Amino acid sequence: MTTTLTASDPTAGTGAPATTGGHRAGSRATLWRRFLVRRLLGVVVNVGLLVLLTFFIVQLIPGDPATAIAGENATLAQVEQVRQQLGLDQPLTTQLGGYVSGVLHGDFGTSFRYGLPATTIVLTALPYTLSIAAAAVTIVLVVGSSVGVVVGIATRGDRNRWLDRVFNAVTGVMQAVPSYLQATLLVLVFAVWLTVLPPAYTLAYGPVESAILPVVALSIGGTSSVARIVRREAAVAQELDYMRTARGWRLPPVRTYAKHLLPNLLTTTLTLSGIILTSMLGSALIVETVFAWPGLGSTVIQAIAVDKDYPVIQAAVFVIGTVSILITLVIDVVLGLVDPRTLGGRND
Amino acid sequence: MTEALAASPVAVTAAPDRARRFAWNGTLVVGLVMSGVVLLVAVVAPFVLTERATALSPDAGLGSVPGHLLGTDTLGRDMLARTLVATRLTVVMALAATVIAGVAGVAIGVGVWLAPRRVRELGLRAIEFAVSYPTLLVAIMIAAILGQSATTVVVAIGLANVAGFARLTANLAAGLSQRDFVATARLVGVPPLRLATRHILPNMAEPMLILLTQTLAGALVEISGLSFVGLGSQNPSFDLGTLLQDALGKLGTNPVLVVGPACALVFTSLAALFVGDGLAAAANPRSIGTRARLRRAAGADTGTAAAAPADPRRLLTVEHVTVTHTRTGRELVRDVSFHLDRGEILGIVGESGSGKSLTASVVSRLLPEGLTATAARLELAGTDLLGTVSPAELATRIGLVYQDPGTSLNPALTLGAQLTDVLTVHRGLSRRVARERVAAGFRSVVLPDPQGHLRQLPHELSGGMKQRAMIASAMSTEPDLLVADEPTTALDVTVQREVLSIIRRMNAEAGTAVLVISHDIGVVRRLCDRVLVMKDGQVVEEVTSPGQLTVDAVSHPYTRRLLAATPSVVVPVAPDAEEAAR
Repeated sequence: MTTTLTASDPTAGTGAPATTGGHRAGSRATLWRRFLVRRLLGVVVNVGLLVLLTFFIVQLIPGDPATAIAGENATLAQVEQVRQQLGLDQPLTTQLGGYVSGVLHGDFGTSFRYGLPATTIVLTALPYTLSIAAAAVTIVLVVGSSVGVVVGIATRGDRNRWLDRVFNAVTGVMQAVPSYLQATLLVLVFAVWLTVLPPAYTLAYGPVESAILPVVALSIGGTSSVARIVRREAAVAQELDYMRTARGWRLPPVRTYAKHLLPNLLTTTLTLSGIILTSMLGSALIVETVFAWPGLGSTVIQAIAVDKDYPVIQAAVFVIGTVSILITLVIDVVLGLVDPRTLGGRND
Repeated sequence: MTEALAASPVAVTAAPDRARRFAWNGTLVVGLVMSGVVLLVAVVAPFVLTERATALSPDAGLGSVPGHLLGTDTLGRDMLARTLVATRLTVVMALAATVIAGVAGVAIGVGVWLAPRRVRELGLRAIEFAVSYPTLLVAIMIAAILGQSATTVVVAIGLANVAGFARLTANLAAGLSQRDFVATARLVGVPPLRLATRHILPNMAEPMLILLTQTLAGALVEISGLSFVGLGSQNPSFDLGTLLQDALGKLGTNPVLVVGPACALVFTSLAALFVGDGLAAAANPRSIGTRARLRRAAGADTGTAAAAPADPRRLLTVEHVTVTHTRTGRELVRDVSFHLDRGEILGIVGESGSGKSLTASVVSRLLPEGLTATAARLELAGTDLLGTVSPAELATRIGLVYQDPGTSLNPALTLGAQLTDVLTVHRGLSRRVARERVAAGFRSVVLPDPQGHLRQLPHELSGGMKQRAMIASAMSTEPDLLVADEPTTALDVTVQREVLSIIRRMNAEAGTAVLVISHDIGVVRRLCDRVLVMKDGQVVEEVTSPGQLTVDAVSHPYTRRLLAATPSVVVPVAPDAEEAAR
């Protein structure tokens, strides 16, 4: 804890002696402890809710779940087999108990389709999804926020009206085109016409070449949103009192913006990046199917639309949900490090 | 700043209230027209084109040919007709999902807000949890439960967006319930449900409408996405998502098929986005600012200034300053002239909107955006402030103290990090020396533990401490002139006195001349050697000694009214302890 604290002290980055002001460190440590306890409790509760939700995916299927899962043409024996396999013949509490203890052991049952543990299937797919989502988020944050800041500064007041128009038009259209459509168009241009990149995941190409189009398709929309929001934030922040104070010191522009403006945009950008990362996980699920990318999206959609493979569905939903809960936690911790004022919590 | 706000064109236009609140704009009009086109297609196309869109024909797999502009699919159905017909299902599904989300979300939000405290807090946390979930994950869970169908995706996307509406409702309700009119309604015993329907909900209309259109835009894209991956509408019904899926399969052989659904999807989603953006802009018009400009008044002779015999005691000469709002041409400050001698404290007093802060901002060359200032002469001890002045000279010779120390300090930087900049950049001091210099300044404004304060963020200090730090920083360059714009307005009465006495002491010890802007006649009386009274952008009276600031001694009726309105008239005018210290 203590080491995190020293690193977190904002003065550390500004050339101040590394030792923190003694009379404050205590209160900040208390803040952190409360924050972490509250957030970790939140994670436990949220993951618990997720276990319940995934359990009820099967329970809530209208009519008789076993019949629905086995399909219209299934024989009575097949239906009974499904019923037994999912434990649907037992009382609800027994089922829930079995499910929860299974989840605690990382066991979501056996895939109907592949005969393998559902957990194995999902954990094999997870890195594929995480890698393209992480790459896309990096692009979104780096490109989106730098473009946003630069445009925000360049269009202050009535400066560079043309840039304002071009920026709004380009980002507006980019936002309006859904990522799966961008994916389709990217395939058309780069795989069908130019034939420089593979249209779908294939071992014939390297993993990087296969990943380029999915990552690009995932990043375009997010980059535009981030650029627009950061630009608006930058425009607002520039007119705030503390920026007038900074202007009163007549510092060189780079110092005015880099030192006095940027840190104030960090909080917004980080908060945003959490939202974008989780929503990107969602878009990744659909974009993956365009490229037959062997990640969680293809897995879970195949499991729903084709195989009715409920153990895999439950495991995938649980894993995706857990990942998004963890992302939110990590973002909040980073936010707390960057801006200790956020430690107080949003509702308190 | 108050003046700048009061001077914004919104405040002066005599337009009726409603017209002012809703600013039509291009984006909104274009969005509405596009939405109209989409709706027209959605209503008409299925009646006219269903035959053509579903009839099988031998012309299968055609590219763009006359008669089939966007090609035909594998069963020979015309893609253009199919696209136009599919628009209806897409739009209907998106609208249905939005209605589900809106109705359920608002109901939950209001319910949570009306619930007892404990339930409300739990409810709010539950909403936060639900909002943090990726929409598509929720949708996939629901698709897993209900199986694949058009209804499924509508319910799925509808439910996935409920949390967003619930959160907006709860947040807005929480904000509104703090407002006076709700408190009043509650006080007079309006029952909670009536409070919600009569006082809370109507005031949410605007943000709600914006969220509705944004959700609609999102729903269009998400529902089509789910259909695209096969979870949505099933054969034989079709929407834009399923058409796009068909086109993806034929991308290698018949790429023209993608044109129809792609264009329709983008057009529809752009229409919804434009309406959303347009509504947001209409509710919250962004005044297009123009750059601040400071010019020499036409006809003013630069030569005379240099030629005039320089009075060594004269520090600041301001002649014929006029400030106008660039776009409307409205005069905010009219022909103001004054001077300031070395070591003198000059006060400018006046009500909000009298132009006093703008006058100070001209002197410090920090005119707010959107304004144009002209002056015949603007000189700081021989330096022509209308010409090119080096940033270093401006920054070090004029010290600035602002009204609200809470907002004038950068919340993200420690005091040490921000207050030393002017010394390291313009005086070339090392960071360590600069910190020592500022720490010494802190000591002279009686801030205990200067080294500790340097490492603190602004929110860790009280308002009075922040303002003292601000003064210390402004004085750290040993400026000739300190411009203090309402230095005590944002502070408690007891703290006000401390800050005033510090300014007075700085003036006495360092000989720095001070220009004080205030609306508080008590402040200028206690602090200043000379006072200008401003009203409607003009100087209406100059009072050469603070002792003459009495109802009987002043000549202008406005000054008299100002004095009569100030209860501090009863405070003895005799020099107090601070003045004795001078």
